[in-house]
Order: sequence, then structure tokens, then C-alpha cells
Amino acid sequence: MKKSTPYVLLGPALLFTAFVLVYPLFQNLINSFKDVSLVRSGGGWVGLRNYAHVFDDSLFWLSFRNTAVYAVAGTLLALLIGLGFALLLNLKIGRISHVAAALYTIPWVISPVVAGFAWKWLLNDNFGIVNHWLSSAGIARGGFAWLGDPRTALFCVIVARVWQFYPFAMVMFLAGLQAIPLEQYEAAAVDGATPLRRFFHITLPNLRSISSVLLLLGVIWSFNDFNMVFVMTRGGPINSSMVLPVLVREFSFVHFDLGKGSALSIVVFTLLLFLSLLYLRVAPRKDAT
Amino acid sequence: MRQKALSALILALISLSCGPKTGVVEIHDWNFGGMPKLMEWLRQRVDSFERRYPGIKVVQSQKSWNMIRELLYADFSAGAGPDVVNVHANYAAEFGEAGHYYPLNKFPDFEEVRKWYVPHFLQSTRYKDNYYGLPSSAIAFVLVCNKDLFDKEGIAPPKTWSQFREAAKRLTKDTDGDGVADQHGLVLLGGDKGGFAYRLAPFLYKAGVNIMSEDLTRIEFNSPRGVATVKLFADMYQLDHSITPGFLAYTLSEMNDLFCSNRAAMSIEGPWFRGMVGEKSPGKDFYAVPVPVPDDMVDQYDTAPTLQDMVMYSINARSKHLNEAWELVKYLRNEEADMAWIRNDLGAIATTDYALNSPEAKQVRDLPMYVNELKHARPWPAHPNIIAIANNVIAPYGQKAIVGELSPQEAMDQAADEARRIIEGKK
Repeated sequence: MKKSTPYVLLGPALLFTAFVLVYPLFQNLINSFKDVSLVRSGGGWVGLRNYAHVFDDSLFWLSFRNTAVYAVAGTLLALLIGLGFALLLNLKIGRISHVAAALYTIPWVISPVVAGFAWKWLLNDNFGIVNHWLSSAGIARGGFAWLGDPRTALFCVIVARVWQFYPFAMVMFLAGLQAIPLEQYEAAAVDGATPLRRFFHITLPNLRSISSVLLLLGVIWSFNDFNMVFVMTRGGPINSSMVLPVLVREFSFVHFDLGKGSALSIVVFTLLLFLSLLYLRVAPRKDAT
Repeated sequence: MRQKALSALILALISLSCGPKTGVVEIHDWNFGGMPKLMEWLRQRVDSFERRYPGIKVVQSQKSWNMIRELLYADFSAGAGPDVVNVHANYAAEFGEAGHYYPLNKFPDFEEVRKWYVPHFLQSTRYKDNYYGLPSSAIAFVLVCNKDLFDKEGIAPPKTWSQFREAAKRLTKDTDGDGVADQHGLVLLGGDKGGFAYRLAPFLYKAGVNIMSEDLTRIEFNSPRGVATVKLFADMYQLDHSITPGFLAYTLSEMNDLFCSNRAAMSIEGPWFRGMVGEKSPGKDFYAVPVPVPDDMVDQYDTAPTLQDMVMYSINARSKHLNEAWELVKYLRNEEADMAWIRNDLGAIATTDYALNSPEAKQVRDLPMYVNELKHARPWPAHPNIIAIANNVIAPYGQKAIVGELSPQEAMDQAADEARRIIEGKK
């Protein structure tokens, strides 16, 4: 085989990647320094003006806060629930464990758009099952507008996000649990350690690297999540659940200010790049022993 | 050898499937929104057009009503887009100014064609000295009152603001006795910014409020009457609790569900609503009446303007087949075609004198009321930034005032400031 053959074979894939990833990224970067609008002529270089407009916009800071809450709270809750289910499934109570494992992973395989619409109907103030259950149980009076109330809309999308992400955490934790050597538990039992102590001193330390990876992945994916929020609330009501990916669309395709939209997407990209680099440092390396 | 032959066969098939038929012009026609019945009628009309003009093939596409601006701007800016499109007439100014629509008055027979239409309908498609569309259907925003609930309560549809507020209060009830109102006087569309603005504007217009000055240089919707209009809704929401609490999340479909299930007594709608309600709840009836006016304007109840919306057929200025596109637009919008709006409930009002004055028109329910409302109605101001102002300024600030995040005065003043910055090109 010639020395150049691998490069020739890789060529089409690299060209395709450059076309669909590198070119749009660079074009976006260029647009972020230009006055680009779909509704008026422009196109001149404006330096950092678009970035200044983004950081001057109170909606950016509100969206940034919402995104951080959505990403961190959503991921932490999903991790806790995922760990709980993984611990239950690890008990291996006959065939039911297999059935439960399959059932628990359903939310993960449902498209976020479909899930978003389903949650929208579940939380509907007049016809939703959530209000029906809450009022039937006497917990709350019916008719609460979960998605129509600026105080609860973000909380609702976080719940939907947790529901969608916890199965992934569960599967990863389950794999981690099954990799813990049984000898560690046996030795601890011989030493008289209670189940709680075994959990905190054996299980959790063994799951530390998986937890870090999951936390970072969850935050990265949530930071970038457009579908769930857009389908459920479109960032409303009155911007109370506005997150950065939806705001990029708002700037670019509602206000048609592509320059500002591009600047914001570069800001989001930079944040995600930082998180991704962190992930690469945290993720277990293949050559690690 | 066999591989070469197979490759040649695949290439031949690809070129055959991709290439246009010789001598046939392909016209792309985008339709935004519309009821299934209208879509079916359009398909039949296009089939008939293709039989009449064998050299023209029409490719129809159905697009989301909520995505009009995004889709058109994205395509037009790239120098692409459909040859023919039917959209709101208030896009005439915005897209006409941007050079995306072809001025139809440049076609030699335009003077003949324009005679088909009710003159003020055609005016809605005009921006500066050009006409950028042929009216497709007209819409006047009115108040729809749930007949079951109004009759049960023994009240008539309201004509004034105080009657409106009182009716909404009386029709807000806890019907199942759980201590929470499950029937509300009014439902508003809050989950769609454009839809919300289109429901606030009829009340502003009926109260004599101008969105902008006649010369389109000043913002005027924060006048005392403009603030009073928003305060009316804010009081209904915050004090009377007669507006559905979750309105900020509602889309048209959720509003329809509430109305059909007797959980909402009133809504601000148009001629499409009877078809929508009929589809969901056959046999359900409602009163369609003009939008109420302030108490001191009761003598102008039938004559004060509501919001007029018009759908028009326009032609892409970059179309390579302008003449063929023009033939298609005329065929879809001529007097004969317009009769379809009289014979079927297509969700809007006919726009030609011929159809509106036909004997069959007398049988159409609510038509005289809609024709009268349309006679006085006003469209959004013909300013290129009006859609941005309606969707991104009037709607969010109006919502903030209604739920009490800002006072009506603060909301309207801040909205006016923002709108001013938009028309001055500072935002």
C-alpha cells in the first residue's frame, strides 16, 4: 500500500466534514463580525458590535441563567434518578429486572419533539392528566397553567428533560455498578460495614469517573438542547423559559438579525467547546489502567 | 464490463429522473396555512389549470402558517423561493420594499384584472405605487360568542367594553364545584406572538387607536386609548380572573378545544372559526359579532374599524417564468375561482364584486356582517417593519401588561420606544 493511500481514502470523508461542519462554522464566525440581516441591506464589517449587542441584551443574561439552571438542575436530577434505578436494577430480581430495564429506557429512545408534544398535553391546564391526578389526589386544585405561568414553565421543561435523560444515566450507572469487583463488597461485609457505608465508601467512589462524564455530557447536551424547550414553550411565556439555543433562533429567524444570531451562537459554541475540552480531560482514556 | 453497463444504466436513470420535461415550464406554488377543504379546492383548481395550459406544470407545496417569514426570507435571500406564493397582504410593504415581490401592475393586462376586486381589498396589496399581490381572501377580526353559554346565561353578545367585561365576568364559573373556575369568559391566543398581536389590534382599532401615524413616521399606539385598551384586558385577567389563566401557552388548537368544550365563552377570531369549530364539534354554534367598542363610542359599534387581514397571491421578483406565474395567479384568483369562497366555507371572505354580489352570497351565514366590517376595517400600517413591530414588540409588551409584569402605561410606552427604534433603524 502506498503511503498516500490512507489519505486518499480519508479524503471524501474529510471533504464532507469540511463542507458540513467547518464551512458553516467559519461562515458563522464571519457573520458574527458583520451586519447581516435578512430583511435589510447591510453586510459591512462591524467588528465586535454584534457581540456587544448580545452582551448588552438583558434577554441574553436571562437566557444564560435559564440555560445554566436547565442544564445543571436537569442533569443532576437525571443523574440522581438514573442512579436510583440503576441500583434497583442491579439487585437483579429475576426476569422483572430485564423488563423494567427495557421499560425505563423508553424515554431515551423517544424523539425529543414527540416527547415535547406529549409533555405539553400532559401539562395542559384544562385537559392534562397531571392536573387531573393532582386534583384527584387532593394535592392541588385543578386548572393550574403549568406552561402558561412564567413561574413554572422552566421547571416543567426541566422535568421533561430529566425524564428524557435519566435512562442514559441509568444505563451508564448500571454498567458501572456491574464492573465493581464483588470482592470489595465481600471484604467490607466481613469488616461489618453497613449497606449505607458500603454505598458511600465502595459504590460511589467506583462510579466517580462515570458520574463526572455523565455530568459533563448532560450539561453539554442540555446547553445545546433546542427541541424540548421550543416544542413545549418556545421560550415563553414572556421569555421565562428562554434558553440560549432558542434565543439564537429568535435573533436569527424572528428578528432576522443574522449577525447578532451568529455572535450568540459563537458564544454558545465557545462555552460548549470549553465544556467539551473538560470532558476530554475527565473521560476515562482507553490507555488508562 | 457488467459493472460499466450497470453504472451507465444508473446514470441514465438519474438524468432521466432529474431533467425537466422538454417544453414544459415548472412553476412552484407555496401555500401557507389554510383549511383542508381549501387545500383540496386548490389542488383541483391547479389540475384544471394544468389541463388548460399543458405547457405549464405546477408544483404545489403546503407550508406552516407560523413559518411564513422564516421560510420566505431564507429562500428569497438566497435568490431562490417559489414562483408564486400566497401570504398575508401586510407582507406587501416588507417584501415589496426588499424587492422580493414582483409589481403586478407591470403586467399589461393588470388594469383589466384589477376591476375584478373590491377596490379597498386591492389597496391592501399596494405599497408605494405598486401592487404586490392579487387578493385571495379577506378576513375581518370579530368577537365570537359561545351560543350555549350565552343562551344559558341569558345574555346577548356585548357591544361595549363594559358589557364585554361584565359578560366575561358572568361567564367565568366553577362548574364542577371544586373551588376553581373551569369556565372562563375570554380565551386569548398567547402562545403565538403574531396571533396575539392580531387579537389585540382589533380592540385597538375599534377604540380609535392608530398603530402608526398616517405618514408612517410616528408610533401612536401608546395613546391614552391604547393604554386603556390594554388595561381592559389586564383588569379582566388580574382583577376579574375572567381570561383563561393559561392563555400565554395557548395555540389556536388549544383555544379551539376550550371553546368547543364550553370552557371558554368568547374569543377574537375570524371567518375561519366556523369551519374549525365545525370540524372539532359538529353542530356547535356561536354568535359572530363586531368587536366591542369603548362605552362612549357605542354609536360607532358597526362602523369603527376592526383589523382587516388579507391573503394575497404574489409572484417572486426573481421568478424565471413571470408570465406563466401571472397566468396561474389570475386563474386561481379570477371571478369564477372566487365563487369557491361563496359556495364552500373556505375560512375567509371572497374578494371580487362578482362573488360578493352573486345570488348565492345571500345564503352565506354572517357574510353581511363580515362585508360590513370589512368595509370599515383597516389593515396593519403598510410599513416594512410592521410585522417585526407587531410580533416582537406589541405582542410581548401587551402580554406583560395583561399578566401584571408591567403596568399598561409602562408596557405601551416601552413598546412604543422599542417600535420607534425599529422604524428609525436603530434596532
